[in-house]
Parts: sequence; structure tokens; C-alpha cells
Amino acid sequence: MSFDLMLRVTEVMLALTLLQSSLEHLSLGRDRLLFGVRIWLCLWLLSGLAPEICLPLLWLTSVILLHRFNGPYNGGADKMGMLVTTSLMVAHLLPQWADLAMAYLAVQLVLSYFVSGYVKLMNPEWRSGQALVDVYRFSVYPVSESLRSYAGRPKLLQAMSWAVIGFEVVFPLTLLHPITLWLGLLVAATFHLANAMLFGLNRFFWIWLCAYPSLIWFQDRLLGS
Amino acid sequence: MLRKTLSLLLPTIFPSWRFFKTVGPSPRIEYRLIGKGQKGDWHESHPLPEHVSFLRMLRRMVWNPARNTQLYMVSLAERLVSGIHEHSEAELNRLIWERIGKQAAKMQFRLVFLVPEDGAITATVVYESTPVAAEVGA
Repeated sequence: MSFDLMLRVTEVMLALTLLQSSLEHLSLGRDRLLFGVRIWLCLWLLSGLAPEICLPLLWLTSVILLHRFNGPYNGGADKMGMLVTTSLMVAHLLPQWADLAMAYLAVQLVLSYFVSGYVKLMNPEWRSGQALVDVYRFSVYPVSESLRSYAGRPKLLQAMSWAVIGFEVVFPLTLLHPITLWLGLLVAATFHLANAMLFGLNRFFWIWLCAYPSLIWFQDRLLGS
Repeated sequence: MLRKTLSLLLPTIFPSWRFFKTVGPSPRIEYRLIGKGQKGDWHESHPLPEHVSFLRMLRRMVWNPARNTQLYMVSLAERLVSGIHEHSEAELNRLIWERIGKQAAKMQFRLVFLVPEDGAITATVVYESTPVAAEVGA
């Protein structure tokens, strides 16, 4: 994947993702001006006209939102959104740093899986499956009460825990070949899809996908012929 | 202002990515209505539905504002007990009023944290807000 294509695909995906979340906010009647401006900026970014002006404005609205909500509204999803926006902005404003900015995004994507997996691996409650039992038993994450019945299947949840830990820790190795990377990203997207459907974390699914093109380009840049 | 901006911005540009490192105490937000000196019963602010169909889960992939509000409220509850008081309480008041509509003169919320203890789940009230009128929270 060429750098220019990767940049444009990332812009389009980011614009659609931020458009979706802004429309959700707007539908609830909150902060209409701020989200109205953000929607307008997303449409501008989709048009492909002058991204070097549009992206800093979009970035500025993200900073205002951090103040408005006194931190991220949706935790890690907003952090990744800010990271993608910042990387794209730097790539356009400082062309001599463009490669580095998008490589930084790719590395952060790899770290997002590896660090999550590593801290789980170090935790005996994750290794025994108890952490996932607790997630279903009493945490706020399951989207319905009926899903709590999974807490009564500790063997299944232990297997799921090891599947998640294994995938996350091994993820950096997928960079060794384009096919393993595509397979790794497919597994990762399926993992986010499951989290979105079972725990209601839909914004994580879309925003993590936005960073995938940078990793495909990065892998090609590192190991491609 | 600059210091505050940096403290909000830096964790987004240099994130730690320690998702679900541990499953800690889990907050529930409950409210009660207060009118003419009478205090009502406590109710969960955003109770989970009994069942969510597969199709509804799929629809929520592209339209999920209520659930995202619920997750934001969980963050606010955790921030409130960690000492970030003013903004978190104001936001929780606003969002609870938004959810229930104006049913009484005043409303109060409390944070109940669930913790596993000896095989059972223990609920502990860790915070009770000051009752507020709708105009303050809305």
C-alpha cells in the first residue's frame, strides 16, 4: 500500500467514524454547536479538500471535547481517535515527518494489543479465567442481564481468556509477513466485533479499524521488497 | 489552562493501553426523587435490559448513544470516587435528570460499588450526592 493511499484511506475511515459518534451525541441534544462543527469538519475531511487545514480544526475540537468531558468520553476509543487525528495532522503539516507520524500510529496499534495482552498474562486472575468470570458476573460491561449466565461457564471463559491473551501477546509477530498481518488484523477485528456486540463497545471497533491501514503500510515499508 | 490541556492531551498521545488489567469494584449509579420533604426509593439510573437480540446488537454497531452514555457515566463514577469531584457530580446530575425527566423537585444519586467477597457479591455505598433541583443538574 502506497503512503498516499494509506493516508487517504485513514482520513476517510476517521471521518466516517467521528461522524458516527458526533451524530450519536447530536441525537441526544447535547453540545449541539460543538458536535455540529465536528460533523461539518468530518464532511470536509471526506471531501479530501485541504486536509492540512481541516485536520488541525478537527484536532482542536477533540481537545475542546477533552476539556468538555474532563477526559475521554469513551476511554480508549477517544484516545485512539485522538492518536489517529494527531498522526494525520502531523503527516500533513510536517511532510518531512509524515512517515514517522504514521509509523508512530502503527507502532501504537501494535502496542495496544501487546501491552494489553502482557498485563493480562502477568495477572493470575486472567490466567485462571477468574477475571473474565468477574466481567460477566458483576461488571457493568455485559449489554444484558442474560449474558451474565456466561459467568457460570468458567472453563469456557478460561479458554477465552487464554485465546485473548495469546492473540494479543503474539500480535507483533504477525508483522513478519503480509499474509500473517492480514490474518492477525482479521482476528483483531473479530475480537473488537465481539467486544462491541457483547459489551456495547462499538466505538472501539470502528476507531481501531482506522489505524489498520497505517500498520499495513508500515509492515510493507519495513519488510516489503 | 495549558497545564490542564497537557494533562488531558498527553495520555491520548502517549497512551498506556492497559485494558482490563484487573477487574476491580464495579460501580452502579442509583438515584432517588425528593419532593415535599419525602424521599423516594433508590432506583438504578441505567439498568441493563434483560435480553438484547442479535439483530439489536448488530444495529448498535452503528447506533449506540444510550449505551455510550452509560459507559461515560461509569467513567464519571470512577473519577468521582478517585477525587475528581465537581465535574463528575455535575455531569452525573445532568445525565440522570436527562434520563428520568423532571418528576420531582429534587434528585439525589449515590454510587454503589459491587465487590466479590468470599464467593458472593457485596454492595457498598461509597458516595451520596447532595440533592439538587432539576435546573442545577439539567
